[in-house]
Amino acid sequence: MDVVVVTGASRGLGRFCAQSLHDSGYRVVGLGRSAVTDAPFEMRSANVADPISVAEALGDLRRDPSVYALINAAGIASMNLVVTTPAATARRIVETNLLGTIYCCQQIAPALIKRGGGRIVNFSTLGVQLAIKGEAIYIASKAGVEAFSRTFAREMAPYGVTVNTVAPGPIDTALLAKVPKANVDEVVRRQIVPRQAEPVDVWNIVSMLLAPESSMLSGETLHVGGA
Amino acid sequence: MSVSYDEAEQFLREEVAAMMTIDPATIDADTVLIGANRVLDSADLVMLLLAVEDFARDRVGVEFDWTSDSAMSEARSVLRSVGSLARHLTDLQSA
Repeated sequence: MDVVVVTGASRGLGRFCAQSLHDSGYRVVGLGRSAVTDAPFEMRSANVADPISVAEALGDLRRDPSVYALINAAGIASMNLVVTTPAATARRIVETNLLGTIYCCQQIAPALIKRGGGRIVNFSTLGVQLAIKGEAIYIASKAGVEAFSRTFAREMAPYGVTVNTVAPGPIDTALLAKVPKANVDEVVRRQIVPRQAEPVDVWNIVSMLLAPESSMLSGETLHVGGA
Repeated sequence: MSVSYDEAEQFLREEVAAMMTIDPATIDADTVLIGANRVLDSADLVMLLLAVEDFARDRVGVEFDWTSDSAMSEARSVLRSVGSLARHLTDLQSA
């Protein structure tokens, strides 16, 4: 059974993707900061911002050719003006969103290379295109994810591994809980498809990227809702 | 579980030769793996390192970390040549 590793699998889009993958017949290995006991798939506790924690959690999969894909959905946000954001918060956002993505790719890529193919899907945000006020640090971390993914895609192409980024707009998850509705509506209004996306809309794109037919699609950022 | 330097070098020579589809006899301890005059491209080097990772674990009984800060240093790296990598693998046994 093909294995898909999903980070941020304890809640939000990561949880939705992990659940959908499980329902589709994959063996899911979920990563989360907190131990989740109600998941129907295997959950492991790890802090993606810590490379040692990632290595301990995923070390057994590093050489496992049954690993087919990695979905990096772990992420944190702190909506605030740059000048009022504590340095420690800025660091935590970049370490989790950007470095966390890189650490997990480093850990799982060898398994995909050994397999001779596979998929990596990273998560960004529509905010990179829209330059949303109050999200500069979060957006900077995600812009880093997009640049990393596009370049890493070139490195992985010789091994038949695609690397793409999915960039959703505002989705009703915990990440959005503290964002005023007016702000959400404004972002949705600026999307090409002016409808607030549901988790299933994101999953549909992730699912497409995981399909064998998507082997020629790599290094791209797919904007959910359009920007 | 242990390997001699000669066994490690022989393993590396065979792996590199297989990737280059040439006779292992044409590979020696001085064959360069990184930097100028390297014989493998970066994609093949990654495949070699994965094979070495398995060799280290299965035959030597040690972990081989090729993501360390010094691994890709042309001057200091244990990956400089077939000989330096073979020496590193055997040295790991006594570390």
